[in-house]
Amino acid sequence: MEIEEKNVDNVAIISLNGRLDAYASNEVERSINALIDKGSVRIVVNFDGVGYISSSGLRVMLASLKRLKKVQGTIKLACLKPYVKEVFDIAGFTQLFEFYEREEEAVNSFKGWEL
Amino acid sequence: MSYPIIELLLTLVEKICVIVVIAYLITRTKYFMEILDKKFTLKNRVILILIFGAVSIFGTYSGIEIFGAFANVQDLGPMIAGLIGGPVIGVGAGLIGGVHRYFLGGFTCVPCSLATVLAGLFGGIVYLLRKGKFIGVPGAVLFAALMETFHMILVLIIARPYSEAVVIVEDFSIPMIFSNSLGMFFFAFIISNLIKERETAEERDKYFDELERKRYELKIAHDIQQSFLPDAIPVLKGFDLAALNLPAKEVGGDFYDFILVSEDKIGVTIADVSGNGVPAALFMALSRTIVRANATRSPGVADVIQDANRLITSDAKSGMFVTLFYAILDLREKTLTYVNAGHNPPVMFKGKTGELIMLKAKGIALGALEDIKLEERKIILNSGDVVVFYTDGVTEAVDDREEQFGEERLFKAIKENHNLSAKDIIEKINEETLSFCGKQPQFDDITLMALKAE
Repeated sequence: MEIEEKNVDNVAIISLNGRLDAYASNEVERSINALIDKGSVRIVVNFDGVGYISSSGLRVMLASLKRLKKVQGTIKLACLKPYVKEVFDIAGFTQLFEFYEREEEAVNSFKGWEL
Repeated sequence: MSYPIIELLLTLVEKICVIVVIAYLITRTKYFMEILDKKFTLKNRVILILIFGAVSIFGTYSGIEIFGAFANVQDLGPMIAGLIGGPVIGVGAGLIGGVHRYFLGGFTCVPCSLATVLAGLFGGIVYLLRKGKFIGVPGAVLFAALMETFHMILVLIIARPYSEAVVIVEDFSIPMIFSNSLGMFFFAFIISNLIKERETAEERDKYFDELERKRYELKIAHDIQQSFLPDAIPVLKGFDLAALNLPAKEVGGDFYDFILVSEDKIGVTIADVSGNGVPAALFMALSRTIVRANATRSPGVADVIQDANRLITSDAKSGMFVTLFYAILDLREKTLTYVNAGHNPPVMFKGKTGELIMLKAKGIALGALEDIKLEERKIILNSGDVVVFYTDGVTEAVDDREEQFGEERLFKAIKENHNLSAKDIIEKINEETLSFCGKQPQFDDITLMALKAE
């Protein structure tokens, strides 16, 4: 799993590349937790390079969301492949997350947020 | 003597080989191991004293001629004896070598035999200073060099006539220091390696013990978890029911359950906890118990699971969740009233038309949100209808090209085998999955359940 991090307009963006299986999920969880620990509350995850997600991957997204909600933050998801979107869909997680076609849209949606 | 240097080197190599062989043999004895382990007995002490005393005597005879002078390694045995066994063994070996040297006579016999005894004593003092820990190769070589220097000083102090002692020391000191240090180097090297090997072996044994214990604990966890699954498939009037659960590891996060709600109503559930292994298994135990406790008390469907969700969510730390399908099978009405909390929709095969219907309903996995609303749906089961419940371990099983088994293959297997009994249907589907995966290991827990209306 390749994990790239960058920061645009005070939004932390994590780009994932690879299969988000149980093993990769641990890596991703560590990265997101590190961001939250450093004070990031607005996070976008770019799923462009993810062709497979397991329930462990969903768990990491849910755990991050739950953590961020406590500090008035949130995590938004961008560029999901149809199969990955479907996994979120089946679990009913489309009710929990905001999804965006493009990374910039997700970042822009944070405009107007109070820090 | 056309090549004196080469001859000298050859002699030296020969002597060293003898020392290496002696060192190897001694260090492999049971008694030496016992001393290394600090398990001192009278027997192993005496034996080591005798062995290193013999090494000292051998050292006296096997002098090496270097630069025209005759160097011996009689101090080597007692030094090592002291370094690894302490003062008693060191002095013991030194006395044997020293007494032997004394009776050989010569004008240096007193300082030489005294030096041999002191070599054992000083080795033993180093041992005590190091609290029994072997000094290591560089330390041992330095000790040997210093000891032989001291040996030479003793000769100067004690041996008479003094002028001859000076000659002896001038000729002998360098070869003596050199050969004893070299001999010590090989001995210490072998001992150090042995100590390291034994440490590694000890760590490895500990690791394997730990592994064995973990495996045993997981085996117990597996047995406990299997006991959470229904002991037997209930015999239902007008219906044929079967289930199968194959965790990918010793324990897993999938489960199924049958809950007798009333005389003609039975709760049927299949669920999959996020992730796998021990964390999933613990969460599975929690979820299964909460769902069962709630279902036993109420004949409802959506409200039962919504209540269960509230309890599960309050315990769902670190984002754990469980997708769950819960249905009440009404034996009299021949209906299935269900909710789907984010689970892969079970597949219903209509016996009459051969069409497949996905048992979808609006919902969300349990543990994600405190308050959820689950859509409740009801279907009628006619004779020949088959419902296959499964977890994603079936559809997400992969072959060696990482292609997934997928829903299409599952649908095909259901269509082809709907005529069989419920038990045979799930066995067929499981066989198909296994043969599709080939040699690829099972990554996720597999659970299958089939309900057939007779």
